[in-house]
Amino acid sequence: MSSDTLNLTLRVWRQAGPDKPGGFCDYQLDGVSTHMSFLEMLDVLNEKLIAAGDEPVAFDHDCREGICGMCSLMINGQAHGPDRGTTTCQLHMRRFASGETITIEPWRATPFPVVRDLVVNRSAFDRIIQSGGFVSVNTGNAPDGNSVPVPGNRQEVAMDAAACIGCGACVAACKNASAMLFVSAKVSQLSILPQGQPERSARVLGMVAQMDKEGFGSCTNTSECEAACPAEVSVSHIARLNREYMKALVFADR
Amino acid sequence: MNALLRILGLPACFLAMIPGMAPVVRALSSSVGQKLLMAASGLSLVGFLVVHLAGNLQLYAGEDVFNAYAAKLHSLGPILGIAEVGLFGMFALHIGLAVSTAAMNRTARGSAYAMKQTKQGLFVLPAGGASNWMMVTGILIFIFLVSHILDMKLKKGFGVDYSAALDASGEATNSFQAVKAVLQHPAHSVLYIVCIIALGIHLSHGIRSALQTFGLHHRNWNFIFRWSGFLLAWAIAGGFISVVVWAMAAKNS
Repeated sequence: MSSDTLNLTLRVWRQAGPDKPGGFCDYQLDGVSTHMSFLEMLDVLNEKLIAAGDEPVAFDHDCREGICGMCSLMINGQAHGPDRGTTTCQLHMRRFASGETITIEPWRATPFPVVRDLVVNRSAFDRIIQSGGFVSVNTGNAPDGNSVPVPGNRQEVAMDAAACIGCGACVAACKNASAMLFVSAKVSQLSILPQGQPERSARVLGMVAQMDKEGFGSCTNTSECEAACPAEVSVSHIARLNREYMKALVFADR
Repeated sequence: MNALLRILGLPACFLAMIPGMAPVVRALSSSVGQKLLMAASGLSLVGFLVVHLAGNLQLYAGEDVFNAYAAKLHSLGPILGIAEVGLFGMFALHIGLAVSTAAMNRTARGSAYAMKQTKQGLFVLPAGGASNWMMVTGILIFIFLVSHILDMKLKKGFGVDYSAALDASGEATNSFQAVKAVLQHPAHSVLYIVCIIALGIHLSHGIRSALQTFGLHHRNWNFIFRWSGFLLAWAIAGGFISVVVWAMAAKNS
């Protein structure tokens, strides 16, 4: 059974508040089960801290099954840890070796200010969505199923874009802290479907304008976002965003 | 950083004062708009490099052919002047946008990570490694550009002996001999080769990246986009390096 537990040194970013200075604190955590998820390991750390009368480490989490987009964390310099296509809550401690030092940092981007410790404020994404990432529909009875035909291949591409959970890993991993993958996923998802057509050009112009206003960086086509994305959203959507932007600029009626 | 961005934005501000230009300037000032301009100016500069390389390769045809080509080019007079202004405009636009987007990106990150690793498996050329070197290679290309204008256009290359290129009136008008004099200078040949390799790295990401910025991304075509950009980049760089190597070999023989 001894191989089922790990002794770890955790190098955790601690910051008391948005305007407070932050720094790393080292914690020794022994007997960590390899079957734990990364967040469960942090729960164990916090129980230990609380028992010792210390302040627990604040971190974001909710569903713990990889669909809500709440968990974040830069783990050893990688968004959501070393695995591809998974969130931090889906990362298991068996991925680490006993004796290892694990560096845990919050997402770092000016539009994502640290709230406390490892928690960052991702409201910038909400404001980008509010500036166009929606469709307007009349309230009333639900329309008949299949009354709006959508070809299967279009559904698939739209679904691939809609897989974005808005966690911000793309921003965190991008060397420019660019939100292009997030914005492109949201623009693509709706521009492909018939329901998204009425607001198509206003959407892309509005969302790009808000993205810039929030202070995200620009895209250098490095594709690090695609590699870091837990939902495996492709940079092909960034190309589509660029096409949508050019189309909206040149061909849209207003 | 904000002051720098404001200074770089001045030409755009003046342009926006022209009636009818304001919406265009506004649209192209966004992050996506700036990248579109970056891609457009970059691809036009690639076009210039192809033409320039075609001219340079005439060195292989001998002194008379090359000097006739140079004389023809110079006889264009004002047309050449206008073309040069356009070319410098493209360079200025490309460099200005590079500085402005880099400043934007730096501000966007805020504080740096204590630890940062890539998740991309293949992080060497051509997958995306070059994209991390665009600023460094760009600066090298700029240094080269300054040296190249001094050496070849103004004939004032540092430490270069232009005596073989002088005409009866004492001016260095023999382009063929001037090129040889510059490229046979050891420090210049090293600088040229290093900077042209930087150009190859710069373009190996730049061409492909420009295509992506223009929205060209399709699973059936990505292979062609990626490799044609890579091959064109190194064909251009290889062509220019061959000229330097040719001149160095001619000195030793």
